Amino acid sequence: MSGSKPDILWAPHHVDRFVVCDSELSLYHIDSAVSSELKAGSLRLSEETTATLLSINSDTPYMKCVAWYPKYDPECLLAVGQANGRVVLTSLGQDHNSKSKDLIGKEFVPKHARQCNTLAWNPLDSNWLAAGLDKHRADFSVLIWDISSKYAPETAVATEKVRLSAGDAEAGLVVTKPLYELGQNDACLSLCWLPRDQKLLLAGMHRNLAIFDLRNTSQKIFVNTKAVQGVTVDPYFHDRVASFYEGQVAIWDLRKFEKPVLTLTEQPKPLTKVAWCPTRTGLLATLTRDSNIIRLYDMQHTPTPIGDETEPTIIERSVQPCENYIASFAWHPTSQNRMVVVTPNRTMSDFTVFERISLAWSPVTSLMWACGRHLYECTEEGKASSLEKDIATKMRLRALSRYGLDTEQVWRNHLLAGNEDPQLKSLWYTLHYILYFIQYTEDMDQKLTGNKGPLVYAGIKSIVKSSLGKNVATLLSTVVVCLQNNALMGLVFSNCSKRLFKNTKTKYFCLCFNVKLAVISRVFIFNLNNLVSLIDFHESGDLNLNVVAMALSGYTDEKNSLWREMCSTLRLQLNNPYLCAMFAFLTSESGSYDGVL
Amino acid sequence: MFVARSIAADHRDLIHDVSFDFHGRRMATCSSDQSVKVWDKSENGDWHCTASWKTHSGSVWRVTWAHPEFGQVLASCSFDRTAAVWEEIVGESNDKLRGQSHWVKRTTLVDSRTSVTDVKFAPKHMGLMLATCSADGVVRIYEAPDVMNLSQWSLQHEISCKLSCSCISWNPSSSRAHSPMIAVGSDDNSPNILAKVQIYEYNENTRKYAKAEALMTVTDPVHDIAFAPNLGRSFHILAVATKDVRIFTLKPLRKELTSSGGLTKFEIHIVAQFDNHNSQVWRVSWNITGTVLASSGDDGCVRLWK
Repeated sequence: MSGSKPDILWAPHHVDRFVVCDSELSLYHIDSAVSSELKAGSLRLSEETTATLLSINSDTPYMKCVAWYPKYDPECLLAVGQANGRVVLTSLGQDHNSKSKDLIGKEFVPKHARQCNTLAWNPLDSNWLAAGLDKHRADFSVLIWDISSKYAPETAVATEKVRLSAGDAEAGLVVTKPLYELGQNDACLSLCWLPRDQKLLLAGMHRNLAIFDLRNTSQKIFVNTKAVQGVTVDPYFHDRVASFYEGQVAIWDLRKFEKPVLTLTEQPKPLTKVAWCPTRTGLLATLTRDSNIIRLYDMQHTPTPIGDETEPTIIERSVQPCENYIASFAWHPTSQNRMVVVTPNRTMSDFTVFERISLAWSPVTSLMWACGRHLYECTEEGKASSLEKDIATKMRLRALSRYGLDTEQVWRNHLLAGNEDPQLKSLWYTLHYILYFIQYTEDMDQKLTGNKGPLVYAGIKSIVKSSLGKNVATLLSTVVVCLQNNALMGLVFSNCSKRLFKNTKTKYFCLCFNVKLAVISRVFIFNLNNLVSLIDFHESGDLNLNVVAMALSGYTDEKNSLWREMCSTLRLQLNNPYLCAMFAFLTSESGSYDGVL
Repeated sequence: MFVARSIAADHRDLIHDVSFDFHGRRMATCSSDQSVKVWDKSENGDWHCTASWKTHSGSVWRVTWAHPEFGQVLASCSFDRTAAVWEEIVGESNDKLRGQSHWVKRTTLVDSRTSVTDVKFAPKHMGLMLATCSADGVVRIYEAPDVMNLSQWSLQHEISCKLSCSCISWNPSSSRAHSPMIAVGSDDNSPNILAKVQIYEYNENTRKYAKAEALMTVTDPVHDIAFAPNLGRSFHILAVATKDVRIFTLKPLRKELTSSGGLTKFEIHIVAQFDNHNSQVWRVSWNITGTVLASSGDDGCVRLWK
């Protein structure tokens, strides 16, 4: 915490409480609230969470650093280090009968007043509180206080001590004798207890990192370095420590303490905080000054054995929790990858860092992905129309319904495909009628007198495209199959059967078109032999069609007949495009079918 | 409409890779907790873990299935510089009753001197073959000449890519017109403009893999790469996960008569570039027909592209 920038701390034992400290301590309670409306007095931290202010403690001004009591305490006991070097125990609770009542208000005063830079509470022996102070030529800068020490009256001699805390009714209830004093004539910038041994303290002094062993305070292990700020131990690998100086972070291995095992890429601006993620191995978050980005360094590997020179793999990522510059952040102690950030103007936001997601498609068209420790399966459900589904899903569904396997009534296959694709429908019906015709001609075989060349099945386009002066014989053996809309459909074949078409003498082709759903079927006649063709009307309820039938029956071959003249002029007045086209064909000169097209 | 369900994975650390077998009825996951888990899909669509065992002495980066015609075979690769091949053995009836199966290590491939970042089996028409790539920039191709004996693997090719490799993908096309091809992606972070995707093709004449193409437009670190399944296309489609999602088509140009037997030249087009993730894209994966691409990014989203 520097200047007036707020700092933020999660309660170590309450998963839903955190404290923001700048000029005062504010305790907030986090709630999950998905609904958009906020209760009065709640602040929205993210889409799912809101925070409510529980209490404010402004008893201790000039706060420089804060540390939370490591043991479970319903009253949220905190130690505050002040600008004059005093460490005050204070609380954010209101219960007057709390167990730690006698601790509240206790002050620990150094001999000489100077700024307290950092506080660290021993996680194992919660009575021990380490304070790191600025330099004083006649004093030690690392003081270990025992919070259960007895009070000692303040002597009148120490007039230089300025009492900075209010609410101190009893005069002289301070503790002046620390348990240990370390680091003479030096400044201490950061402190961290080593988890592997409750008596080891790692301190970032002015020009070196020192490990103090409290059993033997005369000895200390130290290494000269500039990276003395923000020392913090990896909660998963107790030998791994991170510290920084200006824009550079150094990672240390305590077993090989001579030099850092790794220095991360230097940032242009000085760093303000580095913190290991307590819920995941090897994730270090760093924050630079005046920035809205938190840089994450992912050290996903087993700690390299000593002597191994291989570079550890580090993945660098950046996340942007909010729009504004971030003053400070704090990892949530238990919730995976979660942190809360606070901006200089005290807006807070709750943010989760997503792990990298690896995914795989299953051959049965579902998607599986893994994020962090979680696994998710995603399938396409719901009644999306088959046209929207991907072809892979469609293929699978059709294979399951035994699509394509109905060889008796071939047209039924389109039903197996869901009966939603009209093109598929017409395809199957075409196939069905082709098969039907094959069967039919086999039956009729003995009655045929025409050529017995192999039958070619062609669509309408190939007939029109190919030269119209085609060999009649070839044409005769061509079956034009065409489908339209709702599949009442006729086949065209040469050597027509008596059942379907009345005129038996001629060889002709005809196609049926269905017009819309009104089940008016119309026969469009291609008279390539200039012979009379026939019209077949099904179920027409329209009188006009009978009129048309009458008109058509007057068809004559002569080019200059009245019929042709009348029809060619009148056809332009016809609304129905099929009729129009039909008359155009019938009235046009043979060989020129532009009017039809 | 896509609906996602959570599955209790029970890994103790991050899951790095998920992989399905050929039929989609079995799945393998691997994690930083150094273990691999194999899951089977039951009749009603639920996944049950049927095997979980420690595979390496470091984080397991990738796991992949071989084609079922070779049996139930898995390969895994890890930070501990090794890749391993595992086979399921038919267990005792007790195991079967409890729904557990047993996997044994058939071989360990120890040639790499750095973390092995990817392992992939070759398409089955090439036989039982797999490729690994490591952070030292070497792609190694191994073959088991006898498919009945999975403990004998020989190193057939070593391809030096000069950049630290992060991912590989075999071209799945089984058409005889296409020679075996492997794409290699690199996540090299140093500031240079070297192409981070290289395509190596097998040359029948020299019997070696040689670099056929380098995608010069990809200069950012590449995290994943995937050829799309080929259902009869004459050209290849390659998806690249880098700072955005990119899809390339590689059209083989007809070899001139003089250089028959030489390397194919490709006409490369970038057909899509999506930066919707707005952050590094971590993985890309094609569906079975190669018609939908899924991508995951650092923004925590999975996106499907068509």
